[in-house]
Amino acid sequence: MSENANGSRAEGQFSVVNAKGMHARAATQLVKLASTFECKIMLSGPEEEAVSAKSVMGVLLLCGAKGAIIQVVADGERAREAVDAIGRLIADGFGEGR
Amino acid sequence: MTLKRGSEVLLGVGSSHGVAIAPAVVLSGSRRAVRRQHVAETAVEEERERFDVAVRDVQQDLQATLSSVVPGRPEAAILEAYLLMAGDELFAQEVSLQIENERRCADWAVAEVTAKFVAKLERVDDAYMRERSHDIDFVGQRLLRALRGGSSMSDELNVTEPSIVIAHDLSPADTAAMTRAPIVAFVTEVGSRTSHTSIMARALEIPAVVGVKNALDRIGTGDMVIVDGLRGQVIVDPSPLEIAEAEQRGGRYAAMMNKLGQGRDRPARTQDGTLVRLQANIELALEAELAVEHGAEGIGLYRTEYLYVDRAAPPSEEEQYQSFRKVLGEIGDRPVTLRTFDIGGDKFVSTFPMPKELNPMLGLRAVRLALSERALFFEHLRAMARASGQGDVQVMIPMVASLDELHAVRELLEEARLSVKAEGQVVADVIPLGVMIEVPAAAVMADMYAREADFLSIGTNDLVQYALAIDRTNQALAHLASPFDPGVLRLVHGVIRAGLEHDCPVSLCGEMASDPMGALLLLGFGLRSMSMESVAIPEIKEAISRVNMTELKTLAGEALACRTASEVNDLLFEALGDRLRDLLTGEPLSTPGGPPPSSDAPPGLSSD
Repeated sequence: MSENANGSRAEGQFSVVNAKGMHARAATQLVKLASTFECKIMLSGPEEEAVSAKSVMGVLLLCGAKGAIIQVVADGERAREAVDAIGRLIADGFGEGR
Repeated sequence: MTLKRGSEVLLGVGSSHGVAIAPAVVLSGSRRAVRRQHVAETAVEEERERFDVAVRDVQQDLQATLSSVVPGRPEAAILEAYLLMAGDELFAQEVSLQIENERRCADWAVAEVTAKFVAKLERVDDAYMRERSHDIDFVGQRLLRALRGGSSMSDELNVTEPSIVIAHDLSPADTAAMTRAPIVAFVTEVGSRTSHTSIMARALEIPAVVGVKNALDRIGTGDMVIVDGLRGQVIVDPSPLEIAEAEQRGGRYAAMMNKLGQGRDRPARTQDGTLVRLQANIELALEAELAVEHGAEGIGLYRTEYLYVDRAAPPSEEEQYQSFRKVLGEIGDRPVTLRTFDIGGDKFVSTFPMPKELNPMLGLRAVRLALSERALFFEHLRAMARASGQGDVQVMIPMVASLDELHAVRELLEEARLSVKAEGQVVADVIPLGVMIEVPAAAVMADMYAREADFLSIGTNDLVQYALAIDRTNQALAHLASPFDPGVLRLVHGVIRAGLEHDCPVSLCGEMASDPMGALLLLGFGLRSMSMESVAIPEIKEAISRVNMTELKTLAGEALACRTASEVNDLLFEALGDRLRDLLTGEPLSTPGGPPPSSDAPPGLSSD
């Protein structure tokens, strides 16, 4: 994890733990959470193509199946907070256990 | 029409009798018929605007549905996801690029982007992720509908004049929307006698010709069309002579059906006095009235899966209960058999996004799906338990392949019954629970089922398909899929015998019962109860009244000794053909040009 001097950029890596992966409901939760932050948040997954965390189609297209590693990069206001919050959601299995 | 061309005759399978003459309405609802048009540079902005409007329409629609759903229910989460997907920025970006760079109209762009996203998810090596492609597809289809200027099928079918629907195929959702429009006939490019379109056409008492190849290429909206369900032909731009002839044929058929309908209140009885119970199969609650009109002695099969059709979320328990109550209200004190949802296989329903299966007919469907979606299934059973307090209700399980399934459902049904009772609502003390015998293994084990189930009902459509290993939607094989195949007959006969031996009521609810020859053969096997589409009841009742049991028993014995389906066909035709000719062909018994049979004439001829 790194953060640059002015604190506007943050990133983290999290692995998908729930059996169903980032399915529609999970993606919805993630998008809703991401949309509460002003900063730009990009996700990249196994396919390595970065998508906006505020697009549910984008999140679905990440193909975040169980076991996939998701890279979260935020840029802007409260970037660190955003990465941590999204990280917790993914690590908690979107509240549906493993 | 300004361009005068000669009439053209297209051939297909007449799957619902009658003759209709009306202008065509060609449905563009299927995804292959998406408008694909290049647009001028000046129209790019306009197409973007159309897309934005479509997005807002779909969002409004979904929002309205969402507000009627109790928060926290699973469908609320799915609707929320759809809502976000409809307004998704990435999707909008890609659509906009398609319109601008490729100069494609908005419909084409949406179809393209949807297909691209779906394809990407389908490539992923994870079943759960692949399922997500259904969600994207669902939203894409909704947007396409909105782009066509209406957010639902019923808007597209906004016709006020009697019209004939021409389509590649019709889904249960399509036909459900059609019950409110003045549609007088169906023509589809695919399908068989047992496909959904055919069943619905017969239920609605309108002619249908299915399996008409290239119908969409040959027929345009507004073309005058004759649909002849008796001959299985469609005439495009008919001559005045052809119209006059078709009117006559239609008139004769209507007169015959009318005459048969007059026997509504008389029981189905053979000449030597054997009584047969004839019940109706229905798909929609509104068909119960039709069943009563045709003299049905109850509902032998209520296909409850149609409650789940064309909607983003499953119906609530209350909604299901109200539908059941409506049927019970129409049917009076006659029995109603509620079949638990038979979803999967050919009846894809958007409320259950299902993974793609190589062999859906052998996959997660019917009772298997029910037992893997316990919460939904429990609500379904609770609605049925509540209905049991309002009439003579029995519950039937589809696609049972193992006694374990009967045991599991019995336990859940009892649990549902007790939970309804605990709330102080009226329930029956006992809700009879039966199984459909449509998997060959169950037919072979019929004696075991007869010992434990409260009743058995033979589903011949699927039994034929599974026993002969013939996909019932494959037209190239349709001629091989005969219920008269001796292998099938032995299975059916065995089930009827097992029921008699163990004192377990047996009924039959497949197409075989609505074929006069099939119905009579089944009587010979010992069957005394059948369920069929309402419109077939008068015909079958008439057929039964023309024969006696002694000859049917002999005939049944001979049929069981046949080696092939064609031998059975020949045998039945030889023995019964002359007496049933009018019922089999839809033409009066008299030879063409001869005098019509007098309405006081005794039914049929003597047996020798």
